[in-house]
Amino acid sequence: MSQAARRLLARWESILVLAIIGAGIWSTTLSPFFLKRGNLLDLVTPYVFIGLMAFGLTFVVIAGEIDISVVSMLAVSVVCFAQIFDAGVNVWLAGLAALAVATALGLGNGVLVGLLNLPSLAITLGTLAAYGGLAFVVLGGEGVASFPNGYTQIGGGYLWRNQLPVALLVLLGFALLLGLLLHATRFGRYVFTIGSNREAARFSGVPVARIRVSVFALSGLMAGIGGVVYVGYFGSARADAGTGSLLDVVTAVVLGGVDIFGGAGSMLGVLLALILVAELRNGMQLANIAGETQDIVIGALLLAAIVAGNLLRAAQADGALSGRLRPRRREVVEHEAADSALPPSLET
Amino acid sequence: MIGASKRTSAQELAAATFRLREIGIAAALGLAIVFFSIRASHFLTVGNWQNILQNVSIVVVVAVGEMVVVLTRNIDLSVGSIVGLSAYLTAATFVHHHGYPILFVALIAVGIGVGLGLVNGLLVAVGRIPSIIATLATLAIYRGIDVQITGGENITAYQLPNRFLKLASTKPAGVPTLAWIALAVALLGAAVLRWAPWARDFYAIGSNPEAARFAGIPTTRRLITAFVISGGLAGLGGFLFAARFPTVDAVAAKGFELDVITAVVIGGVNVFGGSGSVLGVVLGALFVATIQDGFLLLRISEFWRLFFNGFAIVVAVTLNALLTRRLQDALRRRKADVLEARHREAEA
Repeated sequence: MSQAARRLLARWESILVLAIIGAGIWSTTLSPFFLKRGNLLDLVTPYVFIGLMAFGLTFVVIAGEIDISVVSMLAVSVVCFAQIFDAGVNVWLAGLAALAVATALGLGNGVLVGLLNLPSLAITLGTLAAYGGLAFVVLGGEGVASFPNGYTQIGGGYLWRNQLPVALLVLLGFALLLGLLLHATRFGRYVFTIGSNREAARFSGVPVARIRVSVFALSGLMAGIGGVVYVGYFGSARADAGTGSLLDVVTAVVLGGVDIFGGAGSMLGVLLALILVAELRNGMQLANIAGETQDIVIGALLLAAIVAGNLLRAAQADGALSGRLRPRRREVVEHEAADSALPPSLET
Repeated sequence: MIGASKRTSAQELAAATFRLREIGIAAALGLAIVFFSIRASHFLTVGNWQNILQNVSIVVVVAVGEMVVVLTRNIDLSVGSIVGLSAYLTAATFVHHHGYPILFVALIAVGIGVGLGLVNGLLVAVGRIPSIIATLATLAIYRGIDVQITGGENITAYQLPNRFLKLASTKPAGVPTLAWIALAVALLGAAVLRWAPWARDFYAIGSNPEAARFAGIPTTRRLITAFVISGGLAGLGGFLFAARFPTVDAVAAKGFELDVITAVVIGGVNVFGGSGSVLGVVLGALFVATIQDGFLLLRISEFWRLFFNGFAIVVAVTLNALLTRRLQDALRRRKADVLEARHREAEA
């Protein structure tokens, strides 16, 4: 990421913090219980599995691709976990097996996109349906709901005077871990490099294919972990797990300041955006607004986030280069367009 | 001289490749028909085929619009929600105004679709939001509006005038009225895409957005037009949907976009934009509907169909990309040969 992009992200993150405070004030006017410590700590718990998917997707989007099959990989992880556990296998081993399956599915996406250079948009749209169907095929229409208590602690348990949700710790732990992976390792730098200019990355010796396969496998792994947490939180496994959460996952990533065209973004931003989404949904529930109506607000937020990002970046480019020729970043995108997933937006 | 003759043969090569796609999907359709004819006893009856045609009609109408968007290297995920919203508003209009002429209500439905498509177009072309994100958001937003309007109520067939329901039950010349309408839309679409200069621009934009802009094509306007066409035809699709499935509620046509996109993609429309034919899309839609019908007759679970649809998308995208790459290689080699021949001529 360039210095300018980093400054922009820092500003974006401060805006998110302000928005979180604003939404908090709004929620307080709706219910005096909002500011209770227990409620505040529990705010994000139902959205932890969404956050875990968003963390994985962040790597994919920064690398300039998209993965909309995450929700189906989560569903497959959930049903595999349930079936393997149901067959009498130790619950932790079953969890590991579910992660392996989800990672394999992500690897499938990665091979198609990273090695065969197919468009991630169409491929993951296909696997969204294929994996979603697979989840139903594995489990059928029924549900499994007899998981041991020691296990459901992961998603629904509490520590410290019975107020600190374990799921919150899981979320923060992964935010930290993946934040380090993204911002402090060579792997993370490669992801940024590929996202800002794949051709240049290849010429400077970045193992482009391997990294691109890896980000999709990572996305699958995170969806798998999301599935394991999901079962922990809900205490039951169903094949339609995660259906309808795609909007929230994508919103968390984009609202978190990750450049939808690749090359910029931060894990902190995504975490903040997830908290904002959770807070807004919580507030709307307090205000008795139905789920689908909430989707209107979240959808509008997603659109507003991208438009705002576009405007900010354009303003910054103008400010930095007033009077001179603007850099033609578009050209770089154009070169890749033939095998890039996100179609470059057309210029007027 | 040599250059000219080579150029025609290069064009012929491209045309042959595109024909290969249509032949491929036709062959797959033929195989499916043979398979189901042997396995399912009722498959080859007139009644069953009338049923298939009725199912395929609505998909074809919406898929022609979707195809226009995909030609420009974009995607419209919101068509399912537009169909649902338009279907409910169509039915509601008939409930409140029993005497309105059918054609007038059809125009209202198209108008609703045009309006929603216009929003998509503005978001993508003017707001510069990648189409997958923009239409993922409007997918949720339009469905949310649908839920708001219906308020959990549904409209049943008894409340609708008979002359409207006849649209789905009459079969002039043994072919359902819906299929005649779909045929008209497909023929009109094919003619426009073949001969109207402004519609040729969609191909140009999809092949190379930058070049199209430099060639003086008003890309912003054309892009908006593409989404308006997609929305308008989805609006018409909703009108037909209400006639075919007259019990309309807020979840009508949920997930319908997947059938539409599957038809478009396995119909050989290139997801990189720039190539595809209405004939291919019609064959693709027939394939989707045949599989759906065959699975139903063989009592194969709906979930396998979902899996199959997704799998078909992945396979079609892979094959299409490999085919396109071979074609590009062949064309490049040809060009190199021509240049070399010219060089030798000059030397001699």
